[in-house]
Amino acid sequence: MSESGVAPRVADVRLSAFERIPWRRLILIVLAVVMGTVVVVGTYKTLTLDDAFSLEGWKNLVVQGIAQGAILAMIALGYSLVYGILRMINFAHGEVFMAGAFISFFFIDAYARSGFLNQSPILALSIVLVVAIVSSLSIAVLLERLAYRPLRNAPRLVPLITAIGASLFIQNAFRGFFGAQPRGYPQPDVLQGTISILGVDVRRVYVLVFIVAVVSMLVLRAFVARSRTGRSMRAVAEDREIASLMGINVDRTVRTTFALGGALAGIAAVLYGLAFQQVVFTMGFRPGIAAFTAAVLGGIGSISGAALGGFTLGILQAVGPQLFLSGFGIPSPNSVRDAFVFLVLVIVLIYRPGGLLGVSDPEKV
Amino acid sequence: MSRLRATVTAGALAGCVSIFLALVGLTDRFADLYFVGDQASFGRLMLVIAPFTVGAILAKPRVEGGEIRERTAGAAIGIGALAGAVAGLLLGAFAVFVSAFGVERINAVFVNVTPSMLEFITFGQPVVVGALILVAASTVAGAVGLGYRLLPVAVRKPVGSAVITVLVLGFLQRIVPITLDQLDLERNWLYSRSTGGLTWFGAGVVAAGAAGLSIFKQRKGADIRRRLSSRGTDDAGMNPLRAILLLIVFVILLAVPYVTGKVISEVLGTVLVFALLGLGLNIVVGYAGLLDLGYVFFFAVGAYATALLTGATLNTFTGSSPPALSADLNFYLAIPIVMLIAAGAGVLIGAPVLRLRGDYLALVTLGLGEMITVLIASPWLVPVVGGPNGMRGVSDASMFGFGFRDPQHFYYLALAFVLFAMFVSWRLAASRIGRAWTAMREDEQIAEAMGVSTTRFKLLAFAIGGAIGSLGGALFAVKIGSLTPASFNVFVSIQVLGIVILGGLGSLPGVVVGAAVLVGLPGLLREFEEYRLLFYGAALVLVMLLRPEGLIPNIRRSRELHEEDAAQDKWAGELAGDEHAAVGVSPEGESAG
Repeated sequence: MSESGVAPRVADVRLSAFERIPWRRLILIVLAVVMGTVVVVGTYKTLTLDDAFSLEGWKNLVVQGIAQGAILAMIALGYSLVYGILRMINFAHGEVFMAGAFISFFFIDAYARSGFLNQSPILALSIVLVVAIVSSLSIAVLLERLAYRPLRNAPRLVPLITAIGASLFIQNAFRGFFGAQPRGYPQPDVLQGTISILGVDVRRVYVLVFIVAVVSMLVLRAFVARSRTGRSMRAVAEDREIASLMGINVDRTVRTTFALGGALAGIAAVLYGLAFQQVVFTMGFRPGIAAFTAAVLGGIGSISGAALGGFTLGILQAVGPQLFLSGFGIPSPNSVRDAFVFLVLVIVLIYRPGGLLGVSDPEKV
Repeated sequence: MSRLRATVTAGALAGCVSIFLALVGLTDRFADLYFVGDQASFGRLMLVIAPFTVGAILAKPRVEGGEIRERTAGAAIGIGALAGAVAGLLLGAFAVFVSAFGVERINAVFVNVTPSMLEFITFGQPVVVGALILVAASTVAGAVGLGYRLLPVAVRKPVGSAVITVLVLGFLQRIVPITLDQLDLERNWLYSRSTGGLTWFGAGVVAAGAAGLSIFKQRKGADIRRRLSSRGTDDAGMNPLRAILLLIVFVILLAVPYVTGKVISEVLGTVLVFALLGLGLNIVVGYAGLLDLGYVFFFAVGAYATALLTGATLNTFTGSSPPALSADLNFYLAIPIVMLIAAGAGVLIGAPVLRLRGDYLALVTLGLGEMITVLIASPWLVPVVGGPNGMRGVSDASMFGFGFRDPQHFYYLALAFVLFAMFVSWRLAASRIGRAWTAMREDEQIAEAMGVSTTRFKLLAFAIGGAIGSLGGALFAVKIGSLTPASFNVFVSIQVLGIVILGGLGSLPGVVVGAAVLVGLPGLLREFEEYRLLFYGAALVLVMLLRPEGLIPNIRRSRELHEEDAAQDKWAGELAGDEHAAVGVSPEGESAG
């Protein structure tokens, strides 16, 4: 046992036939073929089912997917920005999102009860948005200051473990503060009902979600591309040491990055609340992972990548399980929806770790 | 001037921590858990623990301009008192604010702000008086915290261990008395029947005993340790003293369930199951350095494979039905098969993802862990694993008619498995495989260049770690006798990771201690249950920030983590011409092979 595993000395390397087979590649190819077949056959079978979904149904799923994707994209940007600058996965980013949703809940709930929300929805929602942004942003900045900055030069896994701990801590602190029961996020009357766009009835909330998300992503993109801070962010992402030699305040730039990610998560939180109408202390985990998947799918570290990944994953998540699985007669395919997200993550990381827009593979050591 | 600012900042931080503890509900939850007498409760401790800690931290001598600035005792204690006062002022202001704004209105948002909580933190007095008492208590706590650190070691250690022992015994007030009852020992002198905590007399005796022991250890400890570590006169045999000690430990381990009774045995069984999981994960994370966040995968595979192989049935609405695939094997025949399945699964999931960098690997494994939890709960797999309804009728692993479902019996089965896993881990660490893992963990590229086939060893780590983890699952299935998907979730992975990290990556005693602290304590104290995950999160962050090598470190691992410090110490040592400074890590840390 103890002898068998160690590679022999160079002199007597004579690979057996067993060892000459490129096992890894073989497994990957077989896996790809199997998955491809499942997808194609499943799609065909679903579409030819007797009680197949109507076109209307599919359209609705796609619209829902786009709205979800917009929210995912905004959370994904937080992962992507931080990863770009620190090469670190901010595992607690889902909790930053949750914080914004939970704290803004108390405001919107109060406004809904006093009637202010329906009297002047724009003003009320703006205040709620600002509250969510401020809370998410402060949590993100605090997190960076207290948990990550002291570990900036530690071995790679150390900050990741810290991030997991921080995630657990924030989640349960919120549970302690505000209780464990889910709460209903109110929706102003203006946003209820649907409007027809290109012949599809779209829920009004989804339209708001889409517009706000796209606008804020464009603003972010312009900010990173044009502003002075954006330039220092890109410089720090390129090479932290040289950037600091060039007179860039690295600490401040990192803080700004976390703040930006937090602000976007805050906006996403309000949109999520309005669209799905529920907040609970565990709500950060699954969207967090899904958003991370989206970031990886698009190419982590790039802004357009996160946006692309978000929308792609949103649509895949809404349509995929139905389309691929119901053909096989699997009952309620949506129950495996979360597993589906992870499957996408695993597949992307195995086959294309750089993501769809990836410039380079993330180094693999 | 900057000193003053730093002190005030530290005090403010302590105040925020105190307010946090109150808002989360910890202060109120522990209000009635007395450790001594009828006033000193853990809730009160929550009010002063933060200023005390900050005071102790402030006691560290400041280095300014390369010089260590010592302070006079009076000035130092003044600093502690100031920090404490600031903290107390904040907490007092919080109390005043709550009462002025209206408890009910705040309670609508912060569920733990209740009238009883307000009454507790203001000591039942009018709010302003209560706030003043808070300030005074905090000030004293800060000063005491700092003063404690200023004591000479010979005094500090005994005082410290006396206080800690009293606190621990007070904390264990539901366990120790039961044990004493089981042993037919008198308990009334030690624990008060009315408050539940220690009596003043009992606390005094315990404190004196702990202080005495500590002094004894200070005087004779080095001598005893030397005698224990030196081998006996003939090389082959063990040091007789050490052998006796081991024997005593073993006898205690065997006697525990019957000394402590069913309730505690139940908790100990869970601790051992998690220790087993921790030992498995320790191979993957601690030895091979691969962060696996989806360890629940192996736990689930072990549990469900055991259930299917030993003839469990599916729960249905009307009763039970046999699963689509199953066998009716003896538990001990099933175990090797379960381990093989888990090892195979480890290789299968490992093969495609092992080339990924560490943090990506972590997320992929997290994804795989989540996938299995979703899959076993999905209606899709109902005919195979029962879906949301789960399974029942798992074998109780009986051996010659002696079943292990009973918590007191289960303990022995679990203990045997844990000892087996520890032995395997211990031997592996010292083997070529273990050394290859170490090389790989420290620097993958160099290891590869030296002829270590990293892919193969990573797979091996996954396979062995998975097989041991599946034993944990198998035991869990035996212990409970039935399975529901709710038991298999991401928190199992996080819990096991917490155990391994708190105890110290790569350290076998560390895993056991980690399991005892993170699983045992919450299991024994129902007050704690709700805050378990909060505690886990805080523990993970604090351990990583303050002591990344864990409670009982593996010496090599801790050297890796402190490479920079060691280099700095060496450099400083050379400057000062002082050889002692060159020792970065104390050799006492060597506890695992």
